[in-house]
Amino acid sequence: MPLIELNNLTKDYGSFRAINNLTLEINGGITGLLGPNGAGKSTLIKLLLGLVHCTSGTGRVLGHDIVSGCTEIRTKVGYMPEDDCYMHGLSGVECVQVAAQLSCFPTTEALRRGHEILDFCGMGQERYRNVETYSTGMRQKLRFAMAIVHDPELLILDEPTSGLDPEERESMLNRIQVLSRQMDKAIIICTHILPDVQVVCDRVVIIAGGRMTLCEDLAVLQKSPDPSLTVYLQGTAEAFAKSLRDQGMRIEAESERSLRVFGPEEQTSPAVWKTARETGITVRSIVPSRTSLDEVFLKAVQETSHADS
Amino acid sequence: MPIHSLGYREWSGPLSSADSRWTVIAGIGIRRAWQSMWLRRIVFFAWVPGVLMAMLIYLFEQAASEGNASAFMYNGLVEMFLGRGDRESIRETIAASSVMAQDLVTYRHEFWCKLLQVLYQRSQAIMLIGVVGITAPPLISQDMRSRAFLLYFSRPISRTQYIFGKAATVACYVLVISLLPGAMLYCTGVLLSPDISIVLETWDIPLRILAATATMVIPTTGLGLMLSSLTTETRFASFAWFAVWIFGLFAYLVTSSFVNDGSHTPLEMLSLFHVITNVQGWILDIRVENQIDVLAPLSVLFVLTLVSLTVLYKRVSAPMSV
Repeated sequence: MPLIELNNLTKDYGSFRAINNLTLEINGGITGLLGPNGAGKSTLIKLLLGLVHCTSGTGRVLGHDIVSGCTEIRTKVGYMPEDDCYMHGLSGVECVQVAAQLSCFPTTEALRRGHEILDFCGMGQERYRNVETYSTGMRQKLRFAMAIVHDPELLILDEPTSGLDPEERESMLNRIQVLSRQMDKAIIICTHILPDVQVVCDRVVIIAGGRMTLCEDLAVLQKSPDPSLTVYLQGTAEAFAKSLRDQGMRIEAESERSLRVFGPEEQTSPAVWKTARETGITVRSIVPSRTSLDEVFLKAVQETSHADS
Repeated sequence: MPIHSLGYREWSGPLSSADSRWTVIAGIGIRRAWQSMWLRRIVFFAWVPGVLMAMLIYLFEQAASEGNASAFMYNGLVEMFLGRGDRESIRETIAASSVMAQDLVTYRHEFWCKLLQVLYQRSQAIMLIGVVGITAPPLISQDMRSRAFLLYFSRPISRTQYIFGKAATVACYVLVISLLPGAMLYCTGVLLSPDISIVLETWDIPLRILAATATMVIPTTGLGLMLSSLTTETRFASFAWFAVWIFGLFAYLVTSSFVNDGSHTPLEMLSLFHVITNVQGWILDIRVENQIDVLAPLSVLFVLTLVSLTVLYKRVSAPMSV
């Protein structure tokens, strides 16, 4: 059974249609939810949590109806909002404790669990400070801790790495991967930072204009329609390229020390190694060429805007 | 990384009842409000009138046991603590009681009710303005300002539970300054009376205390939270709260200066203070012949509560609907 199952879901705000006949299935693993601003991502998240009710259509999250079972859904789902929101006047650990208590944890257990989760999130003694004094990055970690404190089955993270420095960003992505790979949590990441999606996500859903324009595994999306290898060399590539061309292979120079060899990997890779040995040139690395996620994203969004116009 | 870090662990422990989630919100509010020095001062001083009246009951019971309760009432401490109107009212009560063959039970019953009337209509009604004015304004306005709604409502908590939790914060402090002093006063009277059978004679007083307390708690909590939900600036909500009382009283005094016959007039509806104290006076007054028409103030309180709760619910729902 899919974790999220939406059928012809529509949400209108007055005359504005935020979600337009959306049909979607999301299974386990890490899913990247992408879309331009105003595409309907936040509305979709609110619909999934039962914070707003759909105008038409049906949906189920973890087997519960998104209208009648929203309390059960919110018990099993952890949500990290994008907004800079916090509970006024509380310390970091109190915020996490309250989040756990609101999910029905007993008071003492909520405090113990809060400390445990803040340790996992890399928050030290600053947890005892008032949240108003926190930096953006610390609040981001705090919201993440509040989202996972009740051990949710499904985690919805809205811009989890925005406002983080590179080191913290990497730590955050590591935590997300730990939760998914080791703890078997299903995770939906809603973000504009496409490199993050490429690092952690298993599949991508792109929404534009309230409609789903793409839902595919990341590996499939990044697979180039014209398979090729990018070969990085120690030294100039001219002789190496000539030798490969002599073998009937299609070559495209990318720079002085790198070139692109077209053809299926199982054919081109042995030929590259053989040629390198024959020509005495050192190969630094061979990277299968992939379609950039930026290209995929732009293409999907542009197709939707063309269709709308 | 702390040395005791265990990484992420799944949770399989017991969970508490889902019905008690509002108590978490109430607990946060009560803890935060108690940090206010002014609130602590008001709560402390709110008990002083109750303690003084408990002393009056003690002295009354002493005098009654010696058979000179009337003399005590005429010459005693009543005049020190009560206003002129109350003093006259008590004298009338005493005189009526004397005529009724020294019916001490009726005498005592009326005396207690009169003390409670003075307690609720004078001191506690004024304390109420301060207590709600300190506790209610930050409760929702700060959540709106810090956008904490998403943190609350992404949890399995309904808007009704959220509002109930916030209302419980205000109600808790109002109860501390209204219900508890009233109950303390009644218990003091019962404990000092010569016979425990007095409980049977005064069974209606605890119910009257509850009703008088509800008159204070429900409309003021609703109004305070509604004002808090209308703005993200706590100071604006505080200003609006005190303005409702002060301008209402001022408007009543100005307009009533043209009507000097001393009777209850519709102009009293301009002042929330008079509306609440009129209803409380009606609840705590056991003499039927003195009853005033409370339909109008009761209607005002009912409409005020209804409007406050409707606006409050809509304002709390608003951040989710966009």
